[in-house]
Amino acid sequence: MLPSASLHDATVVLDDRPVVRGVSVEIGPGLTIARGPNGAGKTTLLRAIAGLIPLARGSRQVSGGILYIGHRPMLLRGLSARQNLRFISAFRGRTDADVVRALEHWGVGAVMDRPIERISAGQRRRAALARIDTEPEPVVLLDEPFADLDRDGVELVRDAIARAVREQRAVVLVTHLHEELDRDAARRLVLADGRVSLA
Amino acid sequence: MRALDRALLVARRELDAERRQPDGVAAALTFAGLVVLLESLALGPGRAHDPDVASAVFWIAILFAAVLLVSRSFDRELEDDAIDAIVALEGGRDALYAGKVLALAAVIAIVALAAGAFSIVLLDLDVRLAAHLVLVAILGVVALPPVVVLVSLIALRVRARVVIVPILAFPLLAPQLLAATAGTSAALSGDASAALGWTGLLASFALVYGVLGLTIVPAAIE
Repeated sequence: MLPSASLHDATVVLDDRPVVRGVSVEIGPGLTIARGPNGAGKTTLLRAIAGLIPLARGSRQVSGGILYIGHRPMLLRGLSARQNLRFISAFRGRTDADVVRALEHWGVGAVMDRPIERISAGQRRRAALARIDTEPEPVVLLDEPFADLDRDGVELVRDAIARAVREQRAVVLVTHLHEELDRDAARRLVLADGRVSLA
Repeated sequence: MRALDRALLVARRELDAERRQPDGVAAALTFAGLVVLLESLALGPGRAHDPDVASAVFWIAILFAAVLLVSRSFDRELEDDAIDAIVALEGGRDALYAGKVLALAAVIAIVALAAGAFSIVLLDLDVRLAAHLVLVAILGVVALPPVVVLVSLIALRVRARVVIVPILAFPLLAPQLLAATAGTSAALSGDASAALGWTGLLASFALVYGVLGLTIVPAAIE
């Protein structure tokens, strides 16, 4: 079965304000890029697809597991990058995940045993993105993955996205940057004032 | 993976983080120790030595220490949105609740052990029924985290969480405080049947709130 995620007539209300309004989207294999101005509801849309926030109206359907990497690294302070990724892989029942190899591939092998609060923001971002390799879930949701990254880091993200698309995973990318990625996208969503249109 | 295995994974993650960043334990130990010390200074050795007074002060100190520990634990989860990594996983919400309850019970037990030993030595308490005292202490500690973690999760995104959690949790914890205090006092005084009676209430309390937490937490976490 091909990976997919969809929202039907979904409305999300945060602080008594509708942030996403009556949105229907279907995400299938390949790259989907979501763009829009600040406050348009891009992050909320992604969190709604991930099931992290409740829908005030509408429904959500997902086939296959979801990997959501937010615009913050989602790694627990006090633990190292290796401990964080091992924990999440073990939780998913993937005891065979090669966390060390993934962290080395993302260029943070030398700091993978340091508590994550003692590594740089860019290194934390790389460690978080290494989850794309350790958790091969069919649906991948990436919120501003290029933030804090240097040029090499950006290339690693682009390679990881291309690899995920080749593996028939459904990748949703929320970003303001790298408009050249649009030409590789299977779907382009534009958000404005909580509503979605296809570009 | 079974639900219990997932909860144990979260508990281990929590204990690892607490071990490497022990500021929550340090604050709780300091707080509990200072409360016992101030009690002995404020009441004088005669009244502070009374089993009823010593038990009440000890459990009030442990209750506040538990809130401190849980608060620090969720502060850590909210930094960098670490909590979202678990909540987004299938079965993550239940495991988060159960794992936090297990881990915090272990950490509170350490604080209670230290504060209890300090109380016995400083206040020169006469322990008539040591085994009963240990049983009451264990069940008193086990009864705390189900409520405090539940309330903390419900109030997770509330800006005044530090204030809201004690206000919501303490009325719910009144039976625990009453039973643990009375049970501890009975064990110190040598009343075995009363001590055992209060342990039954503490066990029931922990069970009810544990089940309640697992029932409502999946819907309560945003």
